[in-house]
Amino acid sequence: MDMGEKDKFELDNKNEDAMNYSPGMSSDWRFDGSNLTNTSMGFVTAGNSMAIGKGDVIGSSACSSASMVDSFVPTMWDHPSNPQNLGFCDMNVQNNASTLNALGIRKGSPASLRTGIDRTLDMCWNQSGPMLKGAMFLPNMPGMLPQSLSQLPTDSAFIERAARFSCFNGGNFSDTVNPFAIPESMSLYSRGGGMMQGVQDVLAGSGLKPVLSGVHSQKGELNVSEASKDASLTVEHGASEGSPLKNERSENLAKSHDEAKQFVGGSGNESDEAEFSNGAGGGQEEPSMIEGAGGEPSAKVHSSKKRKRNGQDSDPDQAKGASQQHGESTKDNTEQHQKGDQNPSTTNNKTTAKHGKQGSQGSDPPKEEYIHVRARRGQATNSHSLAERVRREKISERMKFLQDLVPGCSKVTGKAVMLDEIINYVQSLQRQVEFLSMKLATVNPRLDFNIEGLLAKDMLQSRVGSSSSLAFSPDMPMPYPTLQPPQQGLIQAGLSGMGGSSDVLRRAISSQLMPLAGGYKEPSQLPNVWEDELNNVVQMSFGTRTPPNSQDVDGSLPTGQMKVEL
Amino acid sequence: MKSYPNLGLSASNDNNSRLSTSTTKAKFALRFIRSLKEMKKRGHVSNNSSADERSQRIKAAAYSSMAHAVGPRRAWARALLFKLQRSAKRHRVLTNMTRKRNRSCLVLRQKKNKKKKKGIKKKKSVTNGNDDVLLNQTDKLRGLVPGGKSMDICSLFEETAHYIKCLATQVKVMQDIADQLSPK
Repeated sequence: MDMGEKDKFELDNKNEDAMNYSPGMSSDWRFDGSNLTNTSMGFVTAGNSMAIGKGDVIGSSACSSASMVDSFVPTMWDHPSNPQNLGFCDMNVQNNASTLNALGIRKGSPASLRTGIDRTLDMCWNQSGPMLKGAMFLPNMPGMLPQSLSQLPTDSAFIERAARFSCFNGGNFSDTVNPFAIPESMSLYSRGGGMMQGVQDVLAGSGLKPVLSGVHSQKGELNVSEASKDASLTVEHGASEGSPLKNERSENLAKSHDEAKQFVGGSGNESDEAEFSNGAGGGQEEPSMIEGAGGEPSAKVHSSKKRKRNGQDSDPDQAKGASQQHGESTKDNTEQHQKGDQNPSTTNNKTTAKHGKQGSQGSDPPKEEYIHVRARRGQATNSHSLAERVRREKISERMKFLQDLVPGCSKVTGKAVMLDEIINYVQSLQRQVEFLSMKLATVNPRLDFNIEGLLAKDMLQSRVGSSSSLAFSPDMPMPYPTLQPPQQGLIQAGLSGMGGSSDVLRRAISSQLMPLAGGYKEPSQLPNVWEDELNNVVQMSFGTRTPPNSQDVDGSLPTGQMKVEL
Repeated sequence: MKSYPNLGLSASNDNNSRLSTSTTKAKFALRFIRSLKEMKKRGHVSNNSSADERSQRIKAAAYSSMAHAVGPRRAWARALLFKLQRSAKRHRVLTNMTRKRNRSCLVLRQKKNKKKKKGIKKKKSVTNGNDDVLLNQTDKLRGLVPGGKSMDICSLFEETAHYIKCLATQVKVMQDIADQLSPK
């Protein structure tokens, strides 16, 4: 397909890389980036990579990625308008490309070149001299890359070889893994290059191809990072093996849209899985490697995967540390995502500064949709947005509760309609209260007589319903001394008798209503008895003397109730 | 009077299941009737007072009894009580003056309040499509739920839920009482 072109491009890339490397020290700018932005971050990452004793390659790659991150961070935030940003971006990309190339070279010459290259590369990495790398790359590149590319079609055998290699070489495992991963990525890019190019048209534009030969790798990376789906598709096309991991990857990316934090955790886990799969089978390695390759360049999440992988290769503790770092640097993740978004733009237009600014600030510059989504995704990791999400969940929960409460609101969907329903219901209830109060006011004169009965009824209901008879029993004996007339006492008794059945009550009742006393003696009995009694009582109060009785009741009962209130 | 035993029986039938609702309802009824009594005792509701005034008083009694029954745990109950007390105080102060003046003052104040509310709402409303509708509605809800103006949305919904519950109970209680009072 595009292999020839790929080769050319990559060769060009190498040249460019070499050029880039020869003038600029990768370590230098790396540290510059760290200095510019977060020194702590840069140092931490550096320390991590350093700490990983085994995988020097990995460490270096991690360093590069970390440096990428750092450099991105400064470009993003501190000096968006500086020309250094351009340099950083380009340098980073190129650096990645170079590392990839180096790895690819390493992988590309499996039999003969591997050992030598490994040595050389190890040497390079041990010395941690990017210059040496570049020097190494420069001579090796032209010869190496075509080999790797030519070997790409024979991926399966190669992968198996690499897998064996990785499995058998404990010390070099990480080393093997990384180069392995990178050539995979290379193959991915080479394969997906054609695929990506189609995507690139959508993403960046046709102008990218000629301008940036190295962009192929970059694009591939960027595409992987940015257009996850596209990347997954390309991955699928490129590597027909290990579909589950791809799926995971796609899932990862899908998740990432929703929640970046969880995404980080998930990515870590899945990366672990990928690692395990790496250890287990060679066939599954491809996608995982692809993941790693994709993760290397732009997206920090991917870099996190890488780091985690490194950590796992070396120590689980280190992996934890890496994960912690990631947790700490979720913001940076977001920034990196944005960076990843920016990268294509930077590479495309070479007006990196502006785009860097725009992307870094997270403001909504006139960009493509996916960039928009990306920025949001990045923002999802923000503590503010997290709190916002929690709040929204709370609100929706309350809304659900309200929905259950308001009749006819359960079928309604949509917040606005639901709120409307709730408002209407509240309004109707308030209107009902008003209406009922008006109604009660209109029947006011009769209210005088019936209040006691109503009270009794309500109390009775409460008694019968809730059996909370003790609530009023202690308070009731208090008002009795004040109640001289037996009728009033009767009413009181009728009211209080439900609860208490005290001797005072009985006496008061017995004075007037002897036959009903039996009912009071056994207050826990039938409600019908009480009702009869109450009816009688109420009727008594009705029948005998309504006007004075009402007055008396007014005078006497409130006191009792007041005491009850107390 | 015939509905009476039925009510009792029904209450006794689902004793356990309706325990909480029946108790709250009883509490509400008790409070409400007590406040009505108090009102009567104080002579606020007399034959010479207009039906409108009486209904206003009964309404206030209903709300205050509801708020009292709920207690000060709820923000809306607190706000309601505060509002009622304030209005009662104002009323008391105003009752010292002549009634006409009193009413005119009340009307004026109400008008002023309305104007203020409208102004606030206009300021608050943000033109943002769907959010605008939601904001408007929540503002409306804030106006309906006592004390809702100073709540965030979360607690507003919570208080609204509780308020709706209590209002429904109160309405039921008042309905029962009105049914009892209405000619059989």
